Amino acid sequence: MRAVAAAFMIGVSFPGTLRAQDARIGDAETVLEQLVESYGPSGMEGPVRERVRRLLPGWARAETDTAGNLWVRAGSGGEPVVFVAHLDEIGFRVTGIAADGSLELARLGGFFPSLFEAQPALVHTGRVMVPAVFRPRADTAGPARRTPSAIVADPGTSTRAETEALGIRVGHTVTMPKEYVRLSGTRATGRSFDDRVGSAALVLALRQLDRGRLDHEVIFLWSVREETGLEGAAVAARSLGLRTRRVHAVDTFVSADSPLELPAFGLAPIGAGAVVRAIDNSAVAPAALVDSLVAIAEARRIPLQLGATNGGNDGSAFAPWGVPDVAIAWPLRYSHSPAEVIDLMDLLALADLVRAIAEDW
Amino acid sequence: MQRRIAAGLLCTLAAAPLSAQQPLGDLAGRLAAMSAPVGFEAMMADSLARMMRGAMRDRAGNVIVRLGSGSPKRLIACPMDEPGWAVGGIRSDGYLTLRRLPGRTPPMFDQQVEGQRVTVWGARGAVPAVVAVRSTHLTRGRTTEDTPFTSDNAFVDVGARTEEEVRSLGIRVTSPVTAAKRPHRYGRSRLAAPVAGRRAACAALLRASSQGPRGTVLIAFVVEQGLGMRGLFTAVNALGPFDDVVMLEGDTGAEPVGMRRDTVTAGGARLVLDRWRLRTRFGGTPVETVDLGDAEELERRLAAWIGGGR
Repeated sequence: MRAVAAAFMIGVSFPGTLRAQDARIGDAETVLEQLVESYGPSGMEGPVRERVRRLLPGWARAETDTAGNLWVRAGSGGEPVVFVAHLDEIGFRVTGIAADGSLELARLGGFFPSLFEAQPALVHTGRVMVPAVFRPRADTAGPARRTPSAIVADPGTSTRAETEALGIRVGHTVTMPKEYVRLSGTRATGRSFDDRVGSAALVLALRQLDRGRLDHEVIFLWSVREETGLEGAAVAARSLGLRTRRVHAVDTFVSADSPLELPAFGLAPIGAGAVVRAIDNSAVAPAALVDSLVAIAEARRIPLQLGATNGGNDGSAFAPWGVPDVAIAWPLRYSHSPAEVIDLMDLLALADLVRAIAEDW
Repeated sequence: MQRRIAAGLLCTLAAAPLSAQQPLGDLAGRLAAMSAPVGFEAMMADSLARMMRGAMRDRAGNVIVRLGSGSPKRLIACPMDEPGWAVGGIRSDGYLTLRRLPGRTPPMFDQQVEGQRVTVWGARGAVPAVVAVRSTHLTRGRTTEDTPFTSDNAFVDVGARTEEEVRSLGIRVTSPVTAAKRPHRYGRSRLAAPVAGRRAACAALLRASSQGPRGTVLIAFVVEQGLGMRGLFTAVNALGPFDDVVMLEGDTGAEPVGMRRDTVTAGGARLVLDRWRLRTRFGGTPVETVDLGDAEELERRLAAWIGGGR
């Protein structure tokens, strides 16, 4: 499904005074910064899950299922509406330890390996983070290619035994150090905004949720192993089966809002509000439900864009049970890079949208 | 909520004051966190000058300290400069374009900043930014080239929406741009950072400068080594002649500290010097690595040389 529809804006004004807006941005930033600076490569999401748990409002009772997904339930009665954001981030898995102590790696998720070459690294053993570097390519002669032939991590050892003495084993994961950094205005950069912004939106929505307005059960789900094939969401979908009324993946809208991108689709600018991710590679949201969502956003004056982009979403794991998937998102520049860029106003809009859907739909 | 507006300071670090007597690893890390793109070394020079009693600045921008008196008269220099970029243009949509600064750059130098955080050094201080990269998802099913990224294709995103917003941050065409510096310790005693070898060598020299000299020793932290050795030649022409000249560098090699005699020329001037090379790995990359044990060996040799040995 390529080039189906350019994004457009529905509603444009952000409500509230500037001072109130600054306070809301401060709250959102406090949540997001903590989530971004927690590490959770696919399969090792524990630190992020615990961080989400600590950020929840006091009334929320969080449960972890056998897959590692985190569940919070609100309201009761009727078929549940499910929101799902994923906890994991891209990275590498250690597939071997070479005789010289270096680590052979396989990718967890899709990204350009050149963005990790010659950068600092962290090995996640489950107990500690061991600093290392991603080795630069040795051979820079001859015709140059952007893509390195392999990505190898070097923990600063000389033998396999030295590496193992650091506690590193095959199956451990590797990422790059990261930091949340505010840019000009309301923009910010960091790595793993995909999907820490979605995870933050659920936390912020829960903090503001008026549970007295819920006339059915709403499930807030933070899933594992999305980047490696929607694995956590599939477990959750199976456990709920045919009961689920509707699912809203809360994930990235990969935006073409950059001079480097083709303008054929994905044109949701950052800073212009949340996005209905109506079409992607895994799902097409039913048009009638998109219309309903637009009406809900308009009623609460939440800035909302509509668009089509690439990528899959956790909601599509519910498809075998006939569950409609209406993915909602925020626009992101430079997806799956160490320098993803967002606008914090879009996070506020997304949190408001989650709350509005839970309370009104 | 603390805003991280500044990604790091060009030189004046907000933490504890710099001191030449800090442990070598700490001092090397502090220097490695500084940025001194070629032609824009002034703020790093200010920091170094504050650390050394009696330091002076010469017309080229070098930081020079004179130890002792009489003969022999010797010079030992460590370069401050590093490759970098300057803002080449400011677009109406708030993106910056780049021009690589003059001088030699290592292979893949531009590519290693693609999709990474950088710092733009504006008139009002450090401005954090990123170098744009295509979104992985949006390349799927589309033809893409596998040629290395170059600065001609760089779009720097400071988060601004307009040219006016960029200018309000103190950024103008020619503002210098460097990779964001995050020195990284790993292994038993390794330090990784851009130009880590050069920075560790300068740290070793700072510490060794407390050694009482034989004769006169001039210690110089020089500018524009990568651009015709302007700083070095200015020091030699203005303060020489010298009986010995030593230039510190970071470079690959089998020994912790390699030494070789060399003859260099600039503008018709000819200079014989000894190059002392602190061993590095992954030279010229964002993870150029130096072993701090090697840097300690360099410090010992420098102290011995300043005190009169060879």
